[in-house]
Amino acid sequence: MTAEELTSKIKATFAEKVEELPAVTGIPAFRVKAEHLEEICTTLVSDPELKFDNLSCLGGIDYPETNEIGVVYCLFSFAKRHHLNLRVMMPRENPEVISVSEFWVAANWFERETAELFGIKFKDHPDPRPLLLIEEWDEGYPMRRDWEGKDFIRMPEVGQEK
Amino acid sequence: MVVNSSDRVEPAPGGRELETQEFVVNMGPQHPSTHGVCRLILTMDGEVLKKVVPDIGFLHRSIEKIAENRTYHQFMVYTDRIDYVSSMNANHAWCVAVEKLAGIEVPERAEYLRVIMAELNRIASHLVFLASFSIDLGAVTPFLYAFRERERIVDLFEMTCGQRLTYNYMRIGGVSRDVPKDFVSETKKFCSYLYPRVDEYEAILTENPIFLGRTKGIGILDLPTAINYSVSGPPLRGSGLKWDIRKDEPYSAYDVFDFDIPTGENGDTWDRYKVRIEEMRQSARIIEQALEGLPEGEIKAKVPARFRPPKGEVFARIEAPRGEMAYFIVSDGSTKPYRVKIRTASFCNLQALPVMAKDLKIADLVAIFGSLDIILPEVDR
Repeated sequence: MTAEELTSKIKATFAEKVEELPAVTGIPAFRVKAEHLEEICTTLVSDPELKFDNLSCLGGIDYPETNEIGVVYCLFSFAKRHHLNLRVMMPRENPEVISVSEFWVAANWFERETAELFGIKFKDHPDPRPLLLIEEWDEGYPMRRDWEGKDFIRMPEVGQEK
Repeated sequence: MVVNSSDRVEPAPGGRELETQEFVVNMGPQHPSTHGVCRLILTMDGEVLKKVVPDIGFLHRSIEKIAENRTYHQFMVYTDRIDYVSSMNANHAWCVAVEKLAGIEVPERAEYLRVIMAELNRIASHLVFLASFSIDLGAVTPFLYAFRERERIVDLFEMTCGQRLTYNYMRIGGVSRDVPKDFVSETKKFCSYLYPRVDEYEAILTENPIFLGRTKGIGILDLPTAINYSVSGPPLRGSGLKWDIRKDEPYSAYDVFDFDIPTGENGDTWDRYKVRIEEMRQSARIIEQALEGLPEGEIKAKVPARFRPPKGEVFARIEAPRGEMAYFIVSDGSTKPYRVKIRTASFCNLQALPVMAKDLKIADLVAIFGSLDIILPEVDR
């Protein structure tokens, strides 16, 4: 399916449950609510025209200015050869979303990584242990934009150095 | 001493039957066949693997956090460190992503040079795979042969960019410098030297009965599982899917070259090996075509030092030697990226290891791990 066809198909299938975002350089992008994610993923996997069989990438994103934190899902379909970009945005206090590892096993490690680096909780995750950081880590969630670490020095914007 | 059957110790009267118990073996983090620092927690029943749990993160350097604190140009150096065995491809992925984000037109000569370097590096990376894989299986000769050939590639890189491991050769908008004047003829010589060498590896390994016994039918990964686990690159092709981002979503100048995508049939360790061997030949074919058609002209588009891509997001992926390498970049219009997510092939491929190794022996685990060609800095980032 081309990007335009896919966009209209998604809009027709999910109606007000999805909110269209500017395309990610040609890839249709949608924002969904955390409570609709499970239902949407079920359809994305099983619908014969969509058939998203592959989770290419999953990562967190943090916007302290608007008090939002989110998860970005980069989906791909080997069967239909089309891309889709989904994201769930939540308030930064206590963000929680379901784990999509029942749809794509690849999400398992991606979610473990996102959970410990961004502090997002993935409900019903099959293996919610930390993945990359050391066991004794207690300095918060390092990938959040406002994180302060003792060895972490923020570089000034180029052209504004003193 | 000869033991007669009558000497066997009989269980005591009323004694219980022999019981077996599962036990846990710790493999790594420092283990020669984990090719880096990876710990595998194995639950064993005798010699049979009941459960494999990879424990990663020993090489985590938080490159994604560093990316938010560097300009787009500065981050190029770090991409080398994500996958140091094929840093040209890691450079390339970053360039492709940033250029797509900013809409930069890359001169044709630069695209050709990138393809040549990326393919040379693919051959070098597959040679490292061949070397370590064969030594994991106990064959020392291919190890020495493969490193002999890799040396010639590294020499070609050294004469181009002065580096032998982390090349830092590509730039946003092109490449850092043109190739020296002997490069074309030397690379042509290397390609014609490589084909008979690959035949030689095949003569040593491919139909070798010991090698076949260790690899055929071992570690089978079926296609639906591979796709669900987001496995990519040679393991995915080994499972039988004709899929190569160079062909299916062409980037750089790959659409003009003629090459085949090798695939396997059973998705076993042997198929993954065979796919890589064939890919070396195909890469050499691409290099020959690129050298033949190498256009004259500029090698770098004009990109300002205070480069500010427009506000927006990009998801771009390339076919690295280990599989799909992708960058998801969010730009807020400043000189530094707002967020960079690095998707690497080894991260996803390693996750599928427990499925492949289940109910096999420890020695098979070593063979499977070798055939996935995992590189740990890429897993941990």
